[in-house]
Amino acid sequence: MIQAFITSFKLKNTYRVNTIIYSIREFPFIKNILPNTLYRNKGLKIFGNIISILIEIIGTFLGKILFLLSLIASIFIFYNNFNCDYFIHIFTLLSIGGGLLNTYLFNPTKDKYYALILMNMDARKYTLSNYFYSLLKVLIGYLPFMILLSFFMDLPLYIALLLPIYVVMIKMIVVNFSLYDYKKNKKATNENIPTKIVWIGIIILLALSYGLPYISFIINSYIFTFIFIISLILGIYSFIKIYTFKDYKKMYREILTSPSMNAIKKNNTEIVKENVLKQIEYKDNTTSNKKGFAYLQELFVKRHSKILTKSAKKQTIVLLIILAIAIISIELNSELNNSINKILLTYLPYFVFIMYLLNRGTTITQAMFMNCDHSLLTYRFYRTPSVILGMFKERLKTLISINLLPASIIAIGLPLLLFLTGGTDNYFNYIILFISIIAMSIFFSIHYLVMYYLLQPYTVNTEIKSSTYRVVQALTYFICYYMINLRLPTFYFGLLMTLFCIIYSIIALILAYKLAPKTFKLRI
Amino acid sequence: MKLIIKNLTKSFDTKKVLQNINFTFEKGKIYGLLGRNGAGKTTFFNCLNEDLEVDSGEFYIEDKEKRELDYDDIGYVLSTPNVPEFLTGREFLKFFIDINEDKIKNKKTIDEYFDFMKIDTEDRDKLLKDYSHGMKNKMQMLVNIIANPNILLLDEPLTSFDVVVAEEMKEMLKSIKKDHIIIFSTHIMELALDLCDEIVILNHGTLELIDHTNLNTKQMKNKIIEALKEE
Repeated sequence: MIQAFITSFKLKNTYRVNTIIYSIREFPFIKNILPNTLYRNKGLKIFGNIISILIEIIGTFLGKILFLLSLIASIFIFYNNFNCDYFIHIFTLLSIGGGLLNTYLFNPTKDKYYALILMNMDARKYTLSNYFYSLLKVLIGYLPFMILLSFFMDLPLYIALLLPIYVVMIKMIVVNFSLYDYKKNKKATNENIPTKIVWIGIIILLALSYGLPYISFIINSYIFTFIFIISLILGIYSFIKIYTFKDYKKMYREILTSPSMNAIKKNNTEIVKENVLKQIEYKDNTTSNKKGFAYLQELFVKRHSKILTKSAKKQTIVLLIILAIAIISIELNSELNNSINKILLTYLPYFVFIMYLLNRGTTITQAMFMNCDHSLLTYRFYRTPSVILGMFKERLKTLISINLLPASIIAIGLPLLLFLTGGTDNYFNYIILFISIIAMSIFFSIHYLVMYYLLQPYTVNTEIKSSTYRVVQALTYFICYYMINLRLPTFYFGLLMTLFCIIYSIIALILAYKLAPKTFKLRI
Repeated sequence: MKLIIKNLTKSFDTKKVLQNINFTFEKGKIYGLLGRNGAGKTTFFNCLNEDLEVDSGEFYIEDKEKRELDYDDIGYVLSTPNVPEFLTGREFLKFFIDINEDKIKNKKTIDEYFDFMKIDTEDRDKLLKDYSHGMKNKMQMLVNIIANPNILLLDEPLTSFDVVVAEEMKEMLKSIKKDHIIIFSTHIMELALDLCDEIVILNHGTLELIDHTNLNTKQMKNKIIEALKEE
């Protein structure tokens, strides 16, 4: 069994290291320097192995510490003070939820697919050794933090030591139950698609975790000790059952090859592609009387209304409701006036992030690629400069108009709210609010489309291959996110933002017109 | 008209896929491009179609005088057919004809084109997403033929067709060959021998024309196998 574990660990490590080397090679400019033979470079393999071990260590501890920290924080939020009994109570109950959602055994992962289906490893040995390793990681992951808690938070040391063991016992009990269920019904569960009963169980557990202390029912260290003993007995029983279970091979064949599990075999891009393909709607009346580019674009918009126009309309309705609520609140409670007025005059940078979130550029360009350009770019006529620019123009119109619909509600809503909350001495503020929001909306539309045309990041297999595109996407996010923290007078910020949008858009459009005929092609 | 390739070289990292290719393809002939798996047939097509940049060398058309290849000189039919899935067959053709209106000679009606490619009436207004693999391939072939490009690159085009359609396509290719240079890549030697006027082998990154004068089919087959086996 140890041999099976070592083999599977080596296998996992090999593709992890290869993934790391692959990602390093994907950075801009680096690819040209590093040769393909890199995969057999020993030094790099060692480096990859070190990173891989680090990932393993971080994976062991990071999740646990985050969980414990948020648990402690939630205690402060809900009960205003920290009490060890609260901690034991909530941890005891939430661990059951964790056990249900995170079984390891019923999680169809790539590791398992490679080892069991592709490599045909001994299913029982593979499963048991890796399962016990995962439990060991749970134990080791929790122990140091629990001991720390016992020092700093008055948690009794014996409880601190028992809690991680309790988690392991719970996990085994849940798995044993699922195995029993499989034996009885011949249907293996998939932990990533929890059943309704599991969801209801989780909600009840959450309610009990945080609700019971309000009615002074708390699982304290004494009750916990009692629960622990029961879990220990059931856990040991479950351990024997799990250990002696024989049908792992059959079970995993079902889990790893059933249609719903196809996702494992496919990479993310294939799933995205399938989903985008599903978005095509066809009714007999969706035709177009236009010609050429406009014809293609109109049909594209009509056949993708679910992700294009309909979702923009949904956004618009939600924004209208929010605006209505804001207006009613102002009317009902005049005390709000001052603060809202202040927000409108200093929080405009925040709206950069909101406009970023509202813009559907990424989704739309993705659909454009997957359902349209992916195929048409293989035809030479579609790559002639006149066609590329003709389509670009049509798409620009579409993207801008789709995004302007929800944006216009904000653009009209903000000055309206400013007026209703007492107005401003500088009347330009009204205009600036309106114009800057519209400018931002147009800016994002142009930004995404130009990025798409200049970097065309997708390969023939619809994977994103351009790391530059990823970097630009990440930068866009971080810059917009950074804006959240800025407090600047609306007038100046709005003016600057509008100017920036205009200049950026002009430059981007010139670049697109000059370069797109060369850059807009399939990556092979 | 000739397609002339001079010193064409293409490598991926350190692997030289195409090495100094020199070859002349002539109008009126169907060339069967044979090569073993991974020999570089698709890379060769991708280079000609300018999907991949070549490392060195050039290719051009010689038609009275030398000129560079234009966008509409090449039609490229891929082994996996790619069609815009959100359009119907008819809409795809309409869009294509709209865009290329001034380039299409002897323009026919959309239904005439469908008839030419033997696409059934009931399939013409279906979304391409619901077409079978073979039907998509027919559409792809049709769109590439309507514009009447001088050079047709066909990458394993007949493998997805059933025997009847494959036979129809073979006849169709023979009927249009007099005005085109057709380069046809395939693994299937019988198909190449049956359809093609010339057999070209891509081996070790170079193109070699197999001389078939005074050879019967069996001798020709042996010669091809020997050529492909050469290390």
